[in-house]
Amino acid sequence: MTAIDTTAPDQSEEISFEIDLRHPPERVWRALTDPSLLAEWLLPAMGLRLEPGSSFTLQAPPQPGWDGVVHCSMLEIEKQQKLSYRWVVAEIDTLVTFLLTPTAAGTRLSILQSGFKPDQKRNFGGARYGWRMMGGKLVDLLAKIS
Amino acid sequence: MQHAVAIEDRIFQALADPTRRAIFESLTRGEAAVKDLTARFDISQPAVSQHLAALKEAGLVDGRKEGRCVYYRVEPQGLKPLVDWIAHYRAFWTDHVNRLEKLLEQMDQ
Repeated sequence: MTAIDTTAPDQSEEISFEIDLRHPPERVWRALTDPSLLAEWLLPAMGLRLEPGSSFTLQAPPQPGWDGVVHCSMLEIEKQQKLSYRWVVAEIDTLVTFLLTPTAAGTRLSILQSGFKPDQKRNFGGARYGWRMMGGKLVDLLAKIS
Repeated sequence: MQHAVAIEDRIFQALADPTRRAIFESLTRGEAAVKDLTARFDISQPAVSQHLAALKEAGLVDGRKEGRCVYYRVEPQGLKPLVDWIAHYRAFWTDHVNRLEKLLEQMDQ
C-alpha cells in the first residue's frame, strides 16, 4: 500500500515534552550529564562520556525477556544547549534529544524522542514502518475493517 | 517500554521484510486466500505461506480454513503493541521528568 509510504511523517512519530523549569541551564545541564545525578532521576548510566560517538548504557529494571539495558551512543553535545543520543532497546531504535533554552524564569527544557532514521540498519525498515503506522491511519483502517 | 518488548520485536521483524510488508498491506484491503496472494505477488506459494506464517506468529494476521483453502485476514489488534509502546515512553518520560524537577529542587538547596 504505497499510500502509507508516501504519507508525510506526522507528529505521532515523535514524543515531545516541554517543561518550564525555574532553574538555570547550567544546573539542568548538570542533571542531564552527570551520571550520579542521572541515576537520581533517569536511570543509572555506565560509561557516559560527553564525546560524540561514544557508547554508554542506561540500566532499567530487568523484565522478563529484557535485561533492562538501554544501549546509547552520544550524537550531539552543545554545552547547556543541546544533548542528543541514540536510545536502543532491542529492535526499537530511537533518538532522544534534550534542548535547553534560557528563559526569564530559568530554562525551558524540551525532550524529544523519535524513531532513529539512518538507512542500512537491519530491521530498521520494520521499525520505521511501525513508527509510521502509529500515525494512526492504518490502525484506524484496521479497526474499521475488523 | 517495560513489558511487551518481545512481541514488539516479533512485529518489527515480521514487518522488516518488504515482501511480507506488501502481503500485509495487501490484506488490509480485505481477506485473501493463499492462492490469491500467490497470484498477486511474483513468488511461490510456499514462500507466500512462509511469509503468512511469520505474520501470524507476530499476531498481525489470522487464517481460517474453508474447504481446501486457507483465507487470511489482518488481525485488527495486531498493531496495538506498537501503539502501546509509544504510551510506555510517554508514561516513562512523564514520570522521570517529575523526578528531574524534584532533583533540581534539591540541587537548589
